[in-house]
Amino acid sequence: MKKSFVFSGSGGQGIMSAGMMLAHAAIDMEKHATFLPEYGPEQRGGSAKCTVIISDDEIISPLTKKCDNLVAMNEQAYNKFQDSIKEGGILVVNSSRITKPIEREDVKVISVPVDDIALEVGNIKVANIVIIGALIGATDIVSKDIFVASLEEKFKTKKPEILEMNMKALEKGIAFGEQVK
Amino acid sequence: MEKRFMKGCEAIAEAAVRGGCRFFAGYPITPQNEIPEYLSWRLPEVGGAFVQGESEVASINMVYGAAATGTRAMTSSSGPGISLKAEGISYLASAQLPAVIVNISRGGPGLGSIQPAQSDYLQATKALGHGGFRTMVFAPATLQEAVDLTYNAWEYAERDRNPVLILMDGCLGAIMEEVVLPEPKELNYQNTEDWDLSKRNGRTDSHMITPILPEAALEMLNKFKGMSYKMWEMTDVKVEEYMVEDAEYVVVAYGIAARVAKEAINTLREEGHKVGMVRPITLYPFPKASLDNLDYTRVKGIIDIELTIPAQMRDDIELQVKGRCPVHEYGRSGGMLLDDEGVYNAIAEIVKGGE
Repeated sequence: MKKSFVFSGSGGQGIMSAGMMLAHAAIDMEKHATFLPEYGPEQRGGSAKCTVIISDDEIISPLTKKCDNLVAMNEQAYNKFQDSIKEGGILVVNSSRITKPIEREDVKVISVPVDDIALEVGNIKVANIVIIGALIGATDIVSKDIFVASLEEKFKTKKPEILEMNMKALEKGIAFGEQVK
Repeated sequence: MEKRFMKGCEAIAEAAVRGGCRFFAGYPITPQNEIPEYLSWRLPEVGGAFVQGESEVASINMVYGAAATGTRAMTSSSGPGISLKAEGISYLASAQLPAVIVNISRGGPGLGSIQPAQSDYLQATKALGHGGFRTMVFAPATLQEAVDLTYNAWEYAERDRNPVLILMDGCLGAIMEEVVLPEPKELNYQNTEDWDLSKRNGRTDSHMITPILPEAALEMLNKFKGMSYKMWEMTDVKVEEYMVEDAEYVVVAYGIAARVAKEAINTLREEGHKVGMVRPITLYPFPKASLDNLDYTRVKGIIDIELTIPAQMRDDIELQVKGRCPVHEYGRSGGMLLDDEGVYNAIAEIVKGGE
């Protein structure tokens, strides 16, 4: 099985680290993964996009025109990339920022108030964990246990509240994702 | 052996350290900044030195100086910066000093764009500097290949006493994938007497700055270099031939373009079309035989796919095809990327049109 994920939004929303975390989790599951970041000269606020491909077999081409799963973290990213999802794919939209009606009827839509959830559990920085939760809930590509283990590893030197906050964000995301499974 | 999920630039940097690199000088330019960033902390760990030069010209000349002490030295840049280093690279070739130069290429010409492109094939293979010298040019398509080629690059550079160029586009520089890292090399510096000025021992025939040579001596140098280039063609060509045995159409592509093309070829094969690929791994020496020896009673077309417009490898391809079948080309440029659909459609149109 081979699946592609595009994370899109603006610099500062954790787009790159979301993609990287997903790719690392896939590697931890003994799968193959590629992570390709694309951004302009800007640091914060400019457009940010990354493509992650996860596969059971070796990945030949890391460049793909259409993706299986798209995460759009703001309206600009949504407008730019919504056409690129394959029929039957999954679209995760950050409904805290994307309020217009979704046009695509041939994809599964997961509408998640990402910013609101992140702020509710404690910090806007965990927005990308909510997103990964939604993808874990909606697909079988990465197991929850493996991802939780990677979070535990990542935050083992930090205060326990940090891990707890990330876990809450993940669970909330998973609940949204499971709705379309 | 150690498996890591790494970024292309960082994989090259780590492979360089493990291959014995102990000196790096460079000047920032996108999309290769992760190489100096990585080496800035990694080289001091192994007793090496990292310098961010005040310019590209200064940096390549620092590499020149370091190489003249027998130290395995490297610099990296992208197209516009490599142009600025051209003079120094030519001087290295003239002084017969080993060094490794990495070009993580981006859109050109001019300042171009910071996005990936394979825009420097001609610069890399035909004229990396003035004076008509050549360097071996390695063009990896995967990060594992980038690691392996970089790790062994100094062996070629020191054998030939000539710079070696690694040419990889910005896409592979930025991408992360799994690599297996080889064990660090044990350096003994025993074979460096010929060019290491710190081992000069009273000899007067070695110079840090190459003088204006007497005409006959310069001609001798050029003859010697010419023999090197001939030897490379006999012993050092690296190429991947993919499904060419029965192919009616042969794609020629290197680096990232070859990866996208391979996927398209697999799809076309599943549909019953006989398509194969010749992928040069050394752009110089160019894998001439892989194209010259094709059975042109069967091959109906060659398709040159590159992440640049117009295709730059085409001349080298046509010299081997010798008019025996049409040569087509497809590419994107300026920072626009190739993708699976575009490459598939380009090949399919030619293949289906000819059947």
